[in-house]
Amino acid sequence: MLEMEIRDKACRGCRFCVDICPTDALAFDDETQKAVIKEVEDCIECLSCGFICPSGAIAHKNHHVVKNFYRNLYFSRRMEKFL
Amino acid sequence: MSGKIRLNTDWLCDCGGCHVAIVDLHEKILNVLESIEILHCPVMTDVKDYPEAEIGILTGSIRTEHDKHAAEEMRKKCKTIIAFGTCAVYGGLHGAGLAHSREEIMDHVFKKSPTTTTDTIPTVEVTELAKTVTPIDEVIDVDLYLPGCPPHAHFIFESLKTLIENREPRVTQDSVCARCNRQMIKGDAKELKNSLDGVPDEKFCFLSQGYMCLGSATLDRCLAPCPNHGVACTGCAGPTMQILTEPYRDIRTEVSDRMARLTAIDADTIKTYMEKTAKTQYAYAMATKMIGNKPTFLIKKWIADVEAG
Repeated sequence: MLEMEIRDKACRGCRFCVDICPTDALAFDDETQKAVIKEVEDCIECLSCGFICPSGAIAHKNHHVVKNFYRNLYFSRRMEKFL
Repeated sequence: MSGKIRLNTDWLCDCGGCHVAIVDLHEKILNVLESIEILHCPVMTDVKDYPEAEIGILTGSIRTEHDKHAAEEMRKKCKTIIAFGTCAVYGGLHGAGLAHSREEIMDHVFKKSPTTTTDTIPTVEVTELAKTVTPIDEVIDVDLYLPGCPPHAHFIFESLKTLIENREPRVTQDSVCARCNRQMIKGDAKELKNSLDGVPDEKFCFLSQGYMCLGSATLDRCLAPCPNHGVACTGCAGPTMQILTEPYRDIRTEVSDRMARLTAIDADTIKTYMEKTAKTQYAYAMATKMIGNKPTFLIKKWIADVEAG
Protein backbone atom coordinates (compact mmCIF):
# COMPACT_ATOMS: atom_id res chain seq x y z
CA MET A 1 0.00 0.00 0.00
CA LEU A 2 1.38 3.37 -1.05
CA GLU A 3 2.34 5.77 1.69
CA MET A 4 2.79 9.46 1.05
CA GLU A 5 4.04 12.21 3.29
CA ILE A 6 4.33 15.98 2.94
CA ARG A 7 6.65 17.52 5.49
CA ASP A 8 4.96 20.71 6.63
CA LYS A 9 8.16 22.41 7.68
CA ALA A 10 9.71 21.99 4.25
CA CYS A 11 6.55 22.93 2.29
CA ARG A 12 6.82 26.48 0.90
CA GLY A 13 3.18 26.68 -0.17
CA CYS A 14 3.85 27.07 -3.89
CA ARG A 15 0.93 24.78 -4.90
CA PHE A 16 3.00 23.22 -7.72
CA CYS A 17 2.09 19.72 -6.49
CA VAL A 18 -1.62 20.54 -6.28
CA ASP A 19 -1.53 21.97 -9.82
CA ILE A 20 0.41 19.12 -11.36
CA CYS A 21 -1.38 16.15 -9.74
CA PRO A 22 -3.35 14.44 -12.56
CA THR A 23 -5.81 12.78 -10.18
CA ASP A 24 -6.45 15.63 -7.75
CA ALA A 25 -5.09 13.64 -4.81
CA LEU A 26 -3.61 16.73 -3.17
CA ALA A 27 -5.21 19.89 -1.83
CA PHE A 28 -4.11 23.24 -0.46
CA ASP A 29 -4.87 24.23 3.12
CA ASP A 30 -5.64 27.96 3.04
CA GLU A 31 -5.25 28.33 6.77
CA THR A 32 -1.75 26.91 7.06
CA GLN A 33 -0.79 27.82 3.46
CA LYS A 34 0.63 24.32 2.98
CA ALA A 35 -0.17 21.44 0.65
CA VAL A 36 -2.01 18.47 2.17
CA ILE A 37 -2.86 14.95 1.01
CA LYS A 38 -6.55 14.84 0.17
CA GLU A 39 -7.03 11.26 -1.00
CA VAL A 40 -4.00 8.99 -1.03
CA GLU A 41 -6.10 6.25 -2.71
CA ASP A 42 -6.38 8.50 -5.77
CA CYS A 43 -2.61 8.64 -6.23
CA ILE A 44 -1.42 6.82 -9.35
CA GLU A 45 2.24 6.99 -8.26
CA CYS A 46 3.41 9.14 -11.15
CA LEU A 47 5.66 11.01 -8.66
CA SER A 48 5.19 14.28 -10.55
CA CYS A 49 4.51 16.09 -7.28
CA GLY A 50 7.75 14.87 -5.72
CA PHE A 51 9.60 15.86 -8.86
CA ILE A 52 8.28 19.40 -9.10
CA CYS A 53 8.40 20.17 -5.37
CA PRO A 54 11.13 22.82 -4.99
CA SER A 55 12.13 21.66 -1.52
CA GLY A 56 11.85 17.88 -1.75
CA ALA A 57 9.09 17.92 0.89
CA ILE A 58 7.01 15.10 -0.63
CA ALA A 59 8.03 11.50 -0.02
CA HIS A 60 6.45 8.31 -1.36
CA LYS A 61 6.96 4.88 0.15
CA ASN A 62 6.00 1.41 -1.16
CA HIS A 63 5.44 2.74 -4.67
CA HIS A 64 5.99 0.92 -7.91
CA VAL A 65 9.54 1.59 -9.07
CA VAL A 66 10.17 2.10 -12.77
CA LYS A 67 13.74 1.57 -13.90
CA ASN A 68 15.07 4.53 -15.78
CA PHE A 69 17.73 3.71 -18.36
CA TYR A 70 18.78 7.27 -19.05
CA ARG A 71 20.32 8.09 -15.69
CA ASN A 72 23.55 10.01 -15.36
CA LEU A 73 25.93 7.11 -14.83
CA TYR A 74 28.93 9.24 -13.90
CA PHE A 75 26.98 10.58 -10.92
CA SER A 76 25.01 7.41 -10.14
CA ARG A 77 28.21 5.48 -9.48
CA ARG A 78 29.05 8.04 -6.79
CA MET A 79 25.55 8.63 -5.49
CA GLU A 80 25.65 6.37 -2.43
CA LYS A 81 28.79 8.10 -1.19
CA PHE A 82 27.08 11.49 -0.87
CA LEU A 83 26.12 12.90 2.50
CA MET B 1 46.21 9.12 22.66
CA SER B 2 45.76 5.49 21.59
CA GLY B 3 42.29 4.20 20.77
CA LYS B 4 41.34 7.43 19.07
CA ILE B 5 40.46 7.66 15.39
CA ARG B 6 43.27 9.39 13.51
CA LEU B 7 42.36 12.24 11.16
CA ASN B 8 44.42 13.93 8.46
CA THR B 9 43.16 16.99 6.66
CA ASP B 10 44.74 18.77 3.72
CA TRP B 11 44.00 21.87 1.81
CA LEU B 12 44.34 21.88 -1.97
CA CYS B 13 43.18 24.62 -4.34
CA ASP B 14 40.55 26.45 -2.27
CA CYS B 15 39.99 29.49 -0.08
CA GLY B 16 40.56 27.75 3.25
CA GLY B 17 36.96 28.31 4.34
CA CYS B 18 36.34 24.59 4.75
CA HIS B 19 39.04 24.34 7.40
CA VAL B 20 37.51 27.34 9.15
CA ALA B 21 34.16 25.54 8.97
CA ILE B 22 35.63 22.67 11.00
CA VAL B 23 36.54 25.21 13.68
CA ASP B 24 32.94 26.48 13.42
CA LEU B 25 31.95 23.34 15.31
CA HIS B 26 32.68 25.60 18.33
CA GLU B 27 32.21 23.71 21.60
CA LYS B 28 31.24 20.60 19.69
CA ILE B 29 34.83 20.28 18.53
CA LEU B 30 35.62 19.16 22.10
CA ASN B 31 33.18 16.23 21.66
CA VAL B 32 34.89 15.40 18.37
CA LEU B 33 38.35 15.55 19.94
CA GLU B 34 37.29 12.99 22.57
CA SER B 35 37.24 10.37 19.81
CA ILE B 36 39.48 11.86 17.14
CA GLU B 37 43.15 12.70 17.05
CA ILE B 38 44.14 15.30 14.46
CA LEU B 39 47.52 14.53 12.88
CA HIS B 40 48.12 16.42 9.63
CA CYS B 41 46.19 19.68 9.44
CA PRO B 42 47.83 22.66 7.71
CA VAL B 43 46.17 25.27 9.93
CA MET B 44 46.66 23.48 13.22
CA THR B 45 49.61 21.09 13.30
CA ASP B 46 53.14 21.51 12.03
CA VAL B 47 53.28 18.14 10.30
CA LYS B 48 54.67 18.20 6.77
CA ASP B 49 54.45 14.48 5.91
CA TYR B 50 51.35 12.35 5.81
CA PRO B 51 50.97 10.00 8.81
CA GLU B 52 48.79 6.87 8.59
CA ALA B 53 45.17 7.74 9.48
CA GLU B 54 41.66 6.31 9.41
CA ILE B 55 39.96 9.43 8.03
CA GLY B 56 41.35 11.89 5.49
CA ILE B 57 39.53 15.14 4.77
CA LEU B 58 40.51 16.80 1.51
CA THR B 59 39.26 20.29 0.75
CA GLY B 60 39.73 22.09 -2.54
CA SER B 61 40.25 20.89 -6.07
CA ILE B 62 43.37 20.12 -8.06
CA ARG B 63 45.03 22.92 -9.97
CA THR B 64 48.77 22.49 -9.34
CA GLU B 65 51.30 19.67 -9.18
CA HIS B 66 51.39 20.15 -5.39
CA ASP B 67 47.61 19.59 -5.13
CA LYS B 68 47.93 16.37 -7.11
CA HIS B 69 50.82 15.14 -4.98
CA ALA B 70 49.00 15.95 -1.72
CA ALA B 71 45.83 14.16 -2.87
CA GLU B 72 47.78 11.06 -3.90
CA GLU B 73 49.72 10.96 -0.61
CA MET B 74 46.51 11.36 1.39
CA ARG B 75 44.94 8.49 -0.56
CA LYS B 76 47.92 6.24 0.22
CA LYS B 77 47.85 6.99 3.96
CA CYS B 78 44.13 7.36 4.78
CA LYS B 79 41.57 4.55 4.84
CA THR B 80 38.57 6.78 4.15
CA ILE B 81 38.89 9.88 2.02
CA ILE B 82 36.18 12.52 2.30
CA ALA B 83 35.86 15.05 -0.51
CA PHE B 84 34.95 17.94 1.76
CA GLY B 85 33.29 21.05 0.42
CA THR B 86 32.05 22.05 -3.01
CA CYS B 87 35.55 22.55 -4.49
CA ALA B 88 36.56 19.00 -3.63
CA VAL B 89 33.28 17.48 -4.84
CA TYR B 90 32.50 19.54 -7.94
CA GLY B 91 35.56 21.70 -8.61
CA GLY B 92 33.97 24.67 -6.90
CA LEU B 93 33.99 28.34 -7.66
CA HIS B 94 37.38 28.35 -9.35
CA GLY B 95 36.01 25.60 -11.60
CA ALA B 96 34.63 28.59 -13.48
CA GLY B 97 38.25 29.04 -14.56
CA LEU B 98 37.40 26.41 -17.16
CA ALA B 99 35.75 29.16 -19.11
CA HIS B 100 39.14 30.84 -19.60
CA SER B 101 42.58 29.71 -20.70
CA ARG B 102 45.42 29.39 -18.21
CA GLU B 103 47.21 32.30 -19.91
CA GLU B 104 44.16 34.57 -19.60
CA ILE B 105 43.92 33.79 -15.88
CA MET B 106 47.64 34.33 -15.19
CA ASP B 107 47.63 37.58 -17.17
CA HIS B 108 44.58 38.90 -15.39
CA VAL B 109 45.80 38.04 -11.90
CA PHE B 110 49.50 38.83 -12.11
CA LYS B 111 49.94 41.28 -14.99
CA LYS B 112 46.83 43.27 -15.81
CA SER B 113 45.15 43.29 -12.43
CA PRO B 114 43.90 46.83 -11.73
CA THR B 115 44.97 46.54 -8.09
CA THR B 116 48.63 45.51 -8.55
CA THR B 117 51.56 47.22 -10.19
CA THR B 118 53.85 44.19 -10.53
CA ASP B 119 54.37 42.42 -13.79
CA THR B 120 55.84 39.06 -12.78
CA ILE B 121 54.39 35.61 -12.85
CA PRO B 122 55.60 33.69 -9.76
CA THR B 123 57.96 30.83 -10.54
CA VAL B 124 59.74 30.16 -7.24
CA GLU B 125 58.39 27.78 -4.55
CA VAL B 126 55.04 27.36 -6.24
CA THR B 127 54.22 24.69 -8.76
CA GLU B 128 52.86 25.64 -12.14
CA LEU B 129 49.15 26.22 -12.62
CA ALA B 130 47.63 23.17 -14.32
CA LYS B 131 45.77 23.60 -17.57
CA THR B 132 42.35 23.05 -16.01
CA VAL B 133 40.66 22.58 -12.64
CA THR B 134 40.13 18.91 -11.73
CA PRO B 135 37.75 17.71 -9.02
CA ILE B 136 39.70 15.31 -6.78
CA ASP B 137 37.69 12.21 -7.74
CA GLU B 138 39.21 12.34 -11.22
CA VAL B 139 42.68 11.90 -9.70
CA ILE B 140 42.11 9.62 -6.70
CA ASP B 141 39.29 7.36 -5.43
CA VAL B 142 36.99 9.20 -3.07
CA ASP B 143 35.00 7.31 -0.42
CA LEU B 144 32.58 9.99 0.72
CA TYR B 145 31.37 13.33 -0.60
CA LEU B 146 30.26 16.23 1.57
CA PRO B 147 29.35 19.22 -0.60
CA GLY B 148 28.76 22.70 0.83
CA CYS B 149 30.61 26.00 0.61
CA PRO B 150 31.51 25.37 3.31
CA PRO B 151 29.30 22.57 4.67
CA HIS B 152 27.42 23.86 7.74
CA ALA B 153 28.86 22.68 11.08
CA HIS B 154 25.65 20.67 11.59
CA PHE B 155 26.55 18.43 8.64
CA ILE B 156 30.26 18.26 9.51
CA PHE B 157 29.42 17.11 13.02
CA GLU B 158 26.88 14.59 11.76
CA SER B 159 29.32 13.18 9.19
CA LEU B 160 32.19 12.81 11.68
CA LYS B 161 29.82 11.30 14.27
CA THR B 162 28.52 8.87 11.66
CA LEU B 163 32.06 7.68 10.95
CA ILE B 164 32.98 7.41 14.64
CA GLU B 165 29.79 5.55 15.56
CA ASN B 166 29.79 3.51 12.33
CA ARG B 167 26.15 4.16 11.48
CA GLU B 168 24.01 5.64 8.70
CA PRO B 169 23.98 9.48 8.56
CA ARG B 170 20.73 11.18 9.57
CA VAL B 171 20.47 13.80 6.85
CA THR B 172 17.90 14.65 4.19
CA GLN B 173 18.51 15.37 0.54
CA ASP B 174 16.26 18.41 0.61
CA SER B 175 16.94 21.54 -1.36
CA VAL B 176 17.68 24.94 0.19
CA CYS B 177 13.94 25.82 -0.15
CA ALA B 178 13.12 23.25 2.54
CA ARG B 179 14.99 25.35 5.12
CA CYS B 180 13.97 28.75 3.79
CA ASN B 181 11.18 30.60 5.62
CA ARG B 182 9.94 32.59 2.63
CA GLN B 183 6.55 31.72 1.21
CA MET B 184 6.35 30.74 -2.45
CA ILE B 185 3.30 32.61 -3.69
CA LYS B 186 2.17 33.08 -7.25
CA GLY B 187 3.11 36.64 -8.03
CA ASP B 188 2.71 38.86 -11.07
CA ALA B 189 6.35 39.90 -11.65
CA LYS B 190 6.83 40.64 -15.34
CA GLU B 191 10.55 41.23 -15.43
CA LEU B 192 13.66 39.48 -14.19
CA LYS B 193 15.43 41.54 -11.56
CA ASN B 194 18.86 41.36 -10.03
CA SER B 195 19.69 42.17 -6.45
CA LEU B 196 20.48 45.81 -7.23
CA ASP B 197 17.09 46.46 -8.79
CA GLY B 198 15.18 46.74 -5.52
CA VAL B 199 14.59 45.29 -2.09
CA PRO B 200 12.64 42.03 -2.20
CA ASP B 201 9.84 41.52 0.33
CA GLU B 202 11.26 39.30 3.07
CA LYS B 203 8.05 37.30 3.51
CA PHE B 204 7.92 35.96 -0.02
CA CYS B 205 10.09 33.78 -2.24
CA PHE B 206 12.65 35.53 -4.44
CA LEU B 207 11.38 33.67 -7.50
CA SER B 208 7.81 34.89 -6.88
CA GLN B 209 9.14 38.46 -6.98
CA GLY B 210 11.19 38.01 -10.16
CA TYR B 211 14.61 37.74 -8.49
CA MET B 212 16.91 34.92 -9.58
CA CYS B 213 17.46 32.42 -6.74
CA LEU B 214 18.98 28.95 -7.12
CA GLY B 215 17.59 27.58 -3.84
CA SER B 216 15.22 25.08 -5.50
CA ALA B 217 18.09 23.58 -7.53
CA THR B 218 20.62 23.48 -4.70
CA LEU B 219 21.26 20.79 -2.10
CA ASP B 220 20.77 21.97 1.47
CA ARG B 221 24.10 21.60 3.21
CA CYS B 222 23.92 25.09 4.70
CA LEU B 223 20.57 25.39 6.60
CA ALA B 224 19.63 28.25 4.22
CA PRO B 225 21.23 31.26 5.94
CA CYS B 226 21.28 33.42 2.78
CA PRO B 227 17.60 33.45 1.72
CA ASN B 228 16.55 33.78 5.37
CA HIS B 229 18.68 36.93 5.62
CA GLY B 230 17.65 38.64 2.41
CA VAL B 231 20.21 37.25 -0.02
CA ALA B 232 19.14 34.98 -2.88
CA CYS B 233 20.77 31.53 -3.09
CA THR B 234 23.75 31.33 -5.45
CA GLY B 235 23.88 27.54 -5.43
CA CYS B 236 27.11 27.15 -3.50
CA ALA B 237 26.46 23.61 -2.23
CA GLY B 238 26.01 22.35 -5.78
CA PRO B 239 22.98 20.84 -7.52
CA THR B 240 20.28 18.63 -5.97
CA MET B 241 20.30 14.84 -6.41
CA GLN B 242 17.40 15.24 -8.84
CA ILE B 243 19.50 17.38 -11.18
CA LEU B 244 22.52 15.11 -10.85
CA THR B 245 20.63 11.90 -11.64
CA GLU B 246 18.54 13.14 -14.55
CA PRO B 247 20.60 13.87 -17.67
CA TYR B 248 18.00 16.24 -19.13
CA ARG B 249 17.36 18.14 -15.91
CA ASP B 250 19.66 21.03 -15.34
CA ILE B 251 20.01 24.03 -13.02
CA ARG B 252 18.51 26.31 -15.65
CA THR B 253 15.62 24.03 -16.62
CA GLU B 254 14.60 23.48 -13.00
CA VAL B 255 14.80 27.10 -11.93
CA SER B 256 13.19 28.51 -15.09
CA ASP B 257 10.30 26.02 -14.88
CA ARG B 258 9.53 26.89 -11.27
CA MET B 259 10.04 30.63 -11.71
CA ALA B 260 7.75 30.72 -14.75
CA ARG B 261 5.01 29.06 -12.67
CA LEU B 262 5.39 31.71 -9.95
CA THR B 263 5.58 34.81 -12.16
CA ALA B 264 4.30 36.21 -15.43
CA ILE B 265 7.75 35.70 -17.02
CA ASP B 266 8.10 33.20 -19.84
CA ALA B 267 10.20 30.09 -19.02
CA ASP B 268 12.30 30.56 -22.19
CA THR B 269 13.15 34.14 -21.22
CA ILE B 270 14.43 32.91 -17.87
CA LYS B 271 16.33 30.04 -19.49
CA THR B 272 18.00 32.39 -21.98
CA TYR B 273 18.94 34.77 -19.16
CA MET B 274 20.50 31.88 -17.25
CA GLU B 275 22.45 30.75 -20.31
CA LYS B 276 23.76 34.27 -20.83
CA THR B 277 24.86 34.41 -17.20
CA ALA B 278 25.96 30.75 -17.12
CA LYS B 279 29.31 31.48 -15.51
CA THR B 280 27.41 32.78 -12.49
CA GLN B 281 24.62 30.20 -12.41
CA TYR B 282 26.95 27.21 -12.85
CA ALA B 283 29.90 28.75 -11.02
CA TYR B 284 30.18 26.09 -8.34
CA ALA B 285 29.64 22.88 -10.26
CA MET B 286 31.05 23.64 -13.69
CA ALA B 287 34.25 21.60 -13.51
CA THR B 288 32.75 18.22 -12.63
CA LYS B 289 31.77 15.64 -15.23
CA MET B 290 28.61 15.03 -13.17
CA ILE B 291 27.40 18.28 -14.75
CA GLY B 292 29.83 18.56 -17.66
CA ASN B 293 28.69 15.25 -19.20
CA LYS B 294 25.07 16.35 -19.39
CA PRO B 295 23.85 16.63 -22.97
CA THR B 296 22.07 19.85 -21.99
CA PHE B 297 25.14 21.57 -20.55
CA LEU B 298 26.60 23.68 -23.36
CA ILE B 299 28.62 26.28 -21.47
CA LYS B 300 31.23 26.80 -24.19
CA LYS B 301 28.46 27.61 -26.67
CA TRP B 302 26.66 29.92 -24.23
CA ILE B 303 29.84 31.86 -23.52
CA ALA B 304 30.70 32.07 -27.23
CA ASP B 305 27.18 33.35 -27.95
CA VAL B 306 27.55 36.13 -25.37
CA GLU B 307 31.01 37.06 -26.64
CA ALA B 308 29.75 37.16 -30.23
CA GLY B 309 27.09 39.60 -29.01
